Amino acid sequence: MSQQEVRVPVADPKNPYAMPAAMPSSVDRQPRSFDVDDFTVPRPKDPDWRFTPIARMEEFFQVFQASAATTVTVSNIDGTAVDPERVRVGDVEMGAEPTGTVLAPSDRAAVVQWHSARHAVTVAMSGELDQPVLVKIHGNGLDLDAVHLVITAAADTHADIVVEHDGLARLAEGVEISTGRHSQVSTTFIQEWEQGSKHVGNQRIHVGEGASLRHSVVTLGGDVVRIRMDQDFGGEEGDLNMLGIYFVDPGEHIEHRTMVVHNHPACKSRVVYKGALDGKGAHATWVGNALIEPNAPGTDSYELNRNLVLTPGAVADSEPNLEIENGDIVGAGHASSVGRFDDEELFYLQSRGIPEIEARKLVVRGFFGELVEEIGVPAISGHLMKVIDRRLSRGENEAMQHVLEEK
Amino acid sequence: MSTLEIKDLYASVETKEGRKQILKGANLVVNSNETHAIMGPNGSGKSTLAYTLAGHPKYIVDSGQALLDGKDLLTMTPDERARTGLFLAMQYPVEVPGVSMTNFLRTSKTEVDGKAPALRQWSKELNSAMKRLRMDAKFASRSVNEGFSGGEKKRAEVLQLELLKPKFAVLDETDSGLDVDALRIVSEGVNRAKENTGLGLLLITHYTRILKYIKPDVVHVFAGGKFVKTGGPELADELEATGYDQYLPEGANSESALA
Repeated sequence: MSQQEVRVPVADPKNPYAMPAAMPSSVDRQPRSFDVDDFTVPRPKDPDWRFTPIARMEEFFQVFQASAATTVTVSNIDGTAVDPERVRVGDVEMGAEPTGTVLAPSDRAAVVQWHSARHAVTVAMSGELDQPVLVKIHGNGLDLDAVHLVITAAADTHADIVVEHDGLARLAEGVEISTGRHSQVSTTFIQEWEQGSKHVGNQRIHVGEGASLRHSVVTLGGDVVRIRMDQDFGGEEGDLNMLGIYFVDPGEHIEHRTMVVHNHPACKSRVVYKGALDGKGAHATWVGNALIEPNAPGTDSYELNRNLVLTPGAVADSEPNLEIENGDIVGAGHASSVGRFDDEELFYLQSRGIPEIEARKLVVRGFFGELVEEIGVPAISGHLMKVIDRRLSRGENEAMQHVLEEK
Repeated sequence: MSTLEIKDLYASVETKEGRKQILKGANLVVNSNETHAIMGPNGSGKSTLAYTLAGHPKYIVDSGQALLDGKDLLTMTPDERARTGLFLAMQYPVEVPGVSMTNFLRTSKTEVDGKAPALRQWSKELNSAMKRLRMDAKFASRSVNEGFSGGEKKRAEVLQLELLKPKFAVLDETDSGLDVDALRIVSEGVNRAKENTGLGLLLITHYTRILKYIKPDVVHVFAGGKFVKTGGPELADELEATGYDQYLPEGANSESALA
């Protein structure tokens, strides 16, 4: 028998497209680590930071002494105490279980938060909850602070949790979310920061086998808010639904990055982020990554971002990225748009006696309302609509406020 | 009693080929309780007149006035005109996604009246108005005009006319695209609004069909950007028989004449 030489294909670094299968995915190349030195301080041209005003958040790139001024309280959404049988609230040292169990920091800001936070608040949910859990995170000033929150749901849990941020803060926040097999969970994060606040967040999310997670983010205020969300699945048939709503005022930078990873077969992901921008220097950024790994056949993924520019001078960056490494999938779609307020709609509403400013509010409320309804948990969507109306009816007289708030 | 007086109105529109004057000295007086039919060939400027009165940003007033009880509408924003008492039923009502009809109607009513309507009475009024126009109750929860058929959109326009109770209404080809039943229902709504509030009507149309249901007191021929002839209801029948050709300048192409 003669020996035959077998040539193993090797990717040519000068021409990666010659051998696409051997191309490393860009997400793979990024480090995941708890070591600060594994990440360089971001520079304006770094792909992950090119939309971010780095100079306005450079204090978040070096490990700091956290002020511990931020208060974190956990209750039911109606204010009553949680049932300790089904919602266990704890406080642990950083590094102790369950912290650090969901993925690992993915950028410099995330690893700095990990080392700057002193302890973590943990919320472990199990069974069937009667009403949503509310975590209130209240900022008490501009001294740099870091908080860490770990939300876990045991197998078969049915639970909803809302995390509200308000007050004045410069906050580095780490959130770990892990849901068990066949659980059905919704997590809703609301940012209603006072003017002057900064919030740099990293969320690490693990969706259990056959579990469904509805993950919503609503950002309505803050000078600089940048939230990066990294996610993966724990088994087949996981279902992830990420909804986002943001409202950007003049001079604000509001950024959301959703990094969805399909690493198991037959999982489904939907990412829908919608934002309205108002005024000069209002800057929104949405970057949505969806990575479908070779071992994830049957993946069904879709991501969408829509921006509504209400007045000239606002800037919206919208960047969907798809990396598909498996051809045997149900779907991988994306859509992205930045649109101006429609003049014909405005004229129609005005011709019915509605002043321009009210007309704009009606349209914006409608723009978000469709998304809020999708959340499907009445207690949460009602709560969200109230939050959005509060934002929209700023400065309204009482009678009009009443009209705007009642649908 | 109210009066709407259009005085020597000139207006233009910005086109790709530059600014083009459409209205060329329109004059008209309409009083409460009067119905004026405005008829004319395509491209004569009838819709421009309607949109200019309502304040659409596309149309630029070159000179002239439109006085509602002495107040010049043309110096007002579109919403101020509506609150002063003008209503335009559009030929192509605009879809406003995400804004429910109920919410829209109540906001509009609140603005036009200057105060929020009493809730119970309002929903009663809304429901019965919808019922009279044979509109399904589901309409109220749908987004404004979104996914409505042509006929449904026109009914929704007349619904607003009935609820907002303006002093003057311009109906821009409200009859176009309606089948016989819908035309009757819509016309009944307009007649009801007039009976209840005594509003003055400007009825823009190509065809005499709608005039069988909404009886005009005065019929005008509008051509070349102005009113060229005025008469009684018999003028409409005359137009039906002879067309608009005689009102067009020599050599002009009338689309309706060609069709």
